[in-house]
Amino acid sequence: MEHNDRKDGRDSKFEQDDLAEFEQKLRFALQHRTAPMGMKARVLATARERRRQKQHGWQWMVQRVAASVVIAAIAGGAVAYHQIEERRKGEAAREQVMLALKITNKTLNRVNERLTDDNQ
Amino acid sequence: MEKPLSWQPEFEQLVEEHQSMVFSLAWRMTGDRGMAEEVAQDVLLELDRNLRKLESADHVRFWLRRVTVNRSTDALRRRNAREPGWDEGFWVELEERHGLVESDEGSALSMRIEELMASLPESQRAALILRYQEDLSPEEIAATLKSPVATVKSQLQRGLKLLRLRASNYLKEYVRGT
Repeated sequence: MEHNDRKDGRDSKFEQDDLAEFEQKLRFALQHRTAPMGMKARVLATARERRRQKQHGWQWMVQRVAASVVIAAIAGGAVAYHQIEERRKGEAAREQVMLALKITNKTLNRVNERLTDDNQ
Repeated sequence: MEKPLSWQPEFEQLVEEHQSMVFSLAWRMTGDRGMAEEVAQDVLLELDRNLRKLESADHVRFWLRRVTVNRSTDALRRRNAREPGWDEGFWVELEERHGLVESDEGSALSMRIEELMASLPESQRAALILRYQEDLSPEEIAATLKSPVATVKSQLQRGLKLLRLRASNYLKEYVRGT
């Protein structure tokens, strides 16, 4: 019994040593590899190019937004001017109609007065 | 959280410092040098875009490991969807094409271990690489992979067992062959 326990203990110790040795080999096998030649340069160049494009994209976007604002302002101004002009013309026409009605009213009153005088 | 004022990273310096870690991680995850280079470049460019969000050197390292593992897994899945069964014959083909430079039993085993890693399930592979390449604790691996610690421990145990079994089979064949 005691002999078996000692044998199991020895086996377990052997197993642990074996595992530790394998882990050591694994660590050795999995050391960092050197990155490919020129990878850093390629990454930095691409990053620079992307930043430049992004900046260019921003400038392009700002220009487009500014152009859109100017066009919208011109169009809005034109619409507003057109509306004001229409309203002014409408007012003038209304005033003319009112004047014509006043003249007609006066004329009719005069005719009415004359008819009244004639009847008397 | 406020970014410490003293930490003002230079992208170029970060690339210099971490490129081999990112590349090694991607290579061991994908088992393909070309794909690893592509993944590593994408990850480093993504670092440039996200640099303002990262708060310390440790945060950068943690972020790089997590993003590299994720991007490598994505790249592998995309390739497997495009070319089913690609990984089955890859290492055999690679060996036949280039042959292993086996100077001694140790280095041959090292090379073979790297190759055998590619045959492990993705989650086990990621856990083992982070454990033995990056020397992370199971808790740190769990945080990187966003997995429970118990799951990571089990993946490490199973992965190590499987890898050891395959490596010892290879070693027996190697010894028999020489």
